Amino acid sequence: MSATVPTLDVAGTGPVPLARLVKVEVRKALDTRAGFWFAVSIVGLVLAVEIIFGLVAAEADRTFENNLGIAGAVLGYFLPILVIMLVTSEASQRNGLVTFTLEPRRPRVVLAKFLAGMVLAVVVMVLSALMAVIGMLAGRGDDWGVDGNLVFNGFILSAAVAVLVGFAIATLLMNTPAAIVGYFAYTLILPTAVGILSALSDGFEEIAPWIEFNTAQTPLFMGDYTPTGEEWAQIATSGFIWLVIPLALGIRRLLRIEFK
Amino acid sequence: MAARPMREPAVLGQGGDMINVEGLTRTYGGFTAVDDVSFVCQPGRVTGFLGPNGAGKTTTMRVMVGLTPPTRGRVTIGGHLYSDIPNPGRHVGVLLDASAQHAGRTGREILTIGAQTMGLPKSRVDEMLALVSLSDGEANRRLRNYSLGMKQRLGIAHALLGDPSVLILDEPANGLDPAGIRWMRGLLKGYADRGGTVLLSSHLLHEVEIIADEMILIGRGKIVAQGDRKTLLARGAGAATSLVTALDNDALARALQAKGVEVTAAGEGLRVSAETVEVGRTALESGVVLTDLRSGGAGLEDLFLELTSDTQREGHPEAATQTGAQA
Repeated sequence: MSATVPTLDVAGTGPVPLARLVKVEVRKALDTRAGFWFAVSIVGLVLAVEIIFGLVAAEADRTFENNLGIAGAVLGYFLPILVIMLVTSEASQRNGLVTFTLEPRRPRVVLAKFLAGMVLAVVVMVLSALMAVIGMLAGRGDDWGVDGNLVFNGFILSAAVAVLVGFAIATLLMNTPAAIVGYFAYTLILPTAVGILSALSDGFEEIAPWIEFNTAQTPLFMGDYTPTGEEWAQIATSGFIWLVIPLALGIRRLLRIEFK
Repeated sequence: MAARPMREPAVLGQGGDMINVEGLTRTYGGFTAVDDVSFVCQPGRVTGFLGPNGAGKTTTMRVMVGLTPPTRGRVTIGGHLYSDIPNPGRHVGVLLDASAQHAGRTGREILTIGAQTMGLPKSRVDEMLALVSLSDGEANRRLRNYSLGMKQRLGIAHALLGDPSVLILDEPANGLDPAGIRWMRGLLKGYADRGGTVLLSSHLLHEVEIIADEMILIGRGKIVAQGDRKTLLARGAGAATSLVTALDNDALARALQAKGVEVTAAGEGLRVSAETVEVGRTALESGVVLTDLRSGGAGLEDLFLELTSDTQREGHPEAATQTGAQA
């Protein structure tokens, strides 16, 4: 480079640390009314369901395990929406223009968003576990025993999958309303349709868990919370179709999209 | 780093370049938004990027900061590709669209997020709010309740957060009131005087003319002219014109016509195809009292309109869609 060119001296500046990006993304998920009240509502909803369960469930059912399972199920439904809003707002609210100008290495922003989603998931999970305790106290249940498989499969793994599903749909559609509608179609309409088809056709019933992710995940929340080898294989194949492929396409899109 | 291509000496000579646009082309399908654009911006100077809507200003600036990949060519800032600059907010202040922020965040929150990303202390947010004269009350309002002028002030505060040495501003005066425009002019002038590099775009000639040391005129994706005010005027000028108003316009017109100078009525006065000195002398000789005499200076505006006329006159459907998408 010729000596007359004033080179911007960047030697003294380090890149933005990933931890800082994650911190900023967590903040961004909660610093709008929509984000903040949605997060509060999730925890509030868990609390309400827990208390109702504690009051009306049969005495034998008022176990901490059941309370925890309920909290996990509610979370599984709503966590992805928090993640969806965090990702799609970059395009819908157009602040991606600034986000990706301050950190032009997009994969780092994508990773930071995913980690922020996990951080939020953990916080909401811990709060929900607390709500489950409150539900137990409300129902005066005394069976506090917990199956480790439930905690891992029914609670942590399913929440992680939920965050990833939200992430995949969000990056694929990059539009808040569309992604939320898409998510509910995926999580409510699709399993219902598969259920109807399974009821009509025995052959389809056999195939369904291999190709429908929601159906395949059922063993995580049911029975002994431990999928069999075949059920794990079903989770893997349907997860590949409904999670890995959309996630790969979505992230590819996010890395290339021109934020306007 | 690859050797830089030779440039016309007129552009060099002022010292080095900070922003270097080299043969930049960006196409969208069959539509060429930016067509082989090259120019430089130097430290200590304000460079005005001027062109009608949809001429390719925004696209060029988007490529500069890595939001849009170029089809051909490249842009370096201080010798680096933007994406290679670590923590770029600390070096390059960018304002592309003041409305491109989450409408549900307060102004203060928007700056806080920026400061946090760049690793700046919280006090920097208050400093910037003070600098752009946003009061505490205004800073705590949500962006959706901001006027365009307030958004622009916030956007400028955001661009200046990291104390950068380069500023890239797309239509920063848009929506500012006259006092706001004057304030911004002073701010950017002071920034350049301290050695900063400023590139600002506008579709309003007048806005750029009074602040820019250097102007780059773009029309339909191509650079149509560049240089300082004088160079551009010399290029576009051709015959000099003056605008004059006298107590007795008719007498002055007759005296000028007697000298073989072309005179036409213009508003309350006359447009004369001669230099002001010539008009003044004629008035003195014929004893006519002048109430107003200035250079026809339409020079630059005429040049601007003439150079970019094909972009403005013809309805280019694709260009129109592009403008809509990028505005």
